Amino acid sequence: MASHMADRIGRVGKHVPAMSSVLRPDPLHELGEWGGEGLVRRKRVLDLGCGDGRFALGIARLASRVDGLDPDNQAIAAAKKSARNSGRDNVRFAVGAAQQLPYPDGAFDVVLLSWTL
Amino acid sequence: MVDALHEVHRVLAPGGVLIDARPDSRVPAYVERRSALRFQKFGVVRTNSVELGNDRASDRAIARVVRERLFRRKRHGRFWHRVPFESLPDLRHYLREHLRFVHRATWVVDETARRRHANDQFVIRRAVRFELLESQREVQAPRSFAASPGRRG
Repeated sequence: MASHMADRIGRVGKHVPAMSSVLRPDPLHELGEWGGEGLVRRKRVLDLGCGDGRFALGIARLASRVDGLDPDNQAIAAAKKSARNSGRDNVRFAVGAAQQLPYPDGAFDVVLLSWTL
Repeated sequence: MVDALHEVHRVLAPGGVLIDARPDSRVPAYVERRSALRFQKFGVVRTNSVELGNDRASDRAIARVVRERLFRRKRHGRFWHRVPFESLPDLRHYLREHLRFVHRATWVVDETARRRHANDQFVIRRAVRFELLESQREVQAPRSFAASPGRRG
């Protein structure tokens, strides 16, 4: 596990340091630090600035629905591909800006600004 | 940033929770050498001035929406996270291109020690802060109005 992680870090750190999602804590570990799985269990969650969807997909099995929004086209394309591969049908990703959210009033129980603001 | 927080408030259901989590630039990160039994401190890494300014602006934006009573602070905290590297040169390479950190660590061990252990495993240990804020749907009257003598009794 440690060597696998180190390998990923080595590649990412050398070649695409700005794409830092694999350098962040594991989603469930991070969620645990914030207060535990109850924060998102059976909730409608918006991951704002979701990047490649690492966190959104990491909590998808807990939440009733997860939406991920990010202004980066390439990151969203990667997130959509990961979502397809994961087989989860309660996760959606879209390109967009936080200043103009494409969602109706009161659509979410939890909004996450994770390493975004 | 305040505009984004107003939008977040709009899409949150009453009583919904905003989680703001980000690297904690108020404390430095540390370069540590990993050995079998422990982590040995080799250096300190600070956040660059641009990102420090951005972090302060984010803090002000959060403070403003709390003052506006759109959100109520529920809980906050900090935890530490280790990012592993195969060697010291890999870590330095990472730092040179990092968007938040300054590009060079301030070393607390001498150059001889750094050379001797250059091929050991290293980590950057960094702090992550978080805050949970509860959406307040009803905007209350300002305190000065609510507490005015004419409203009593």
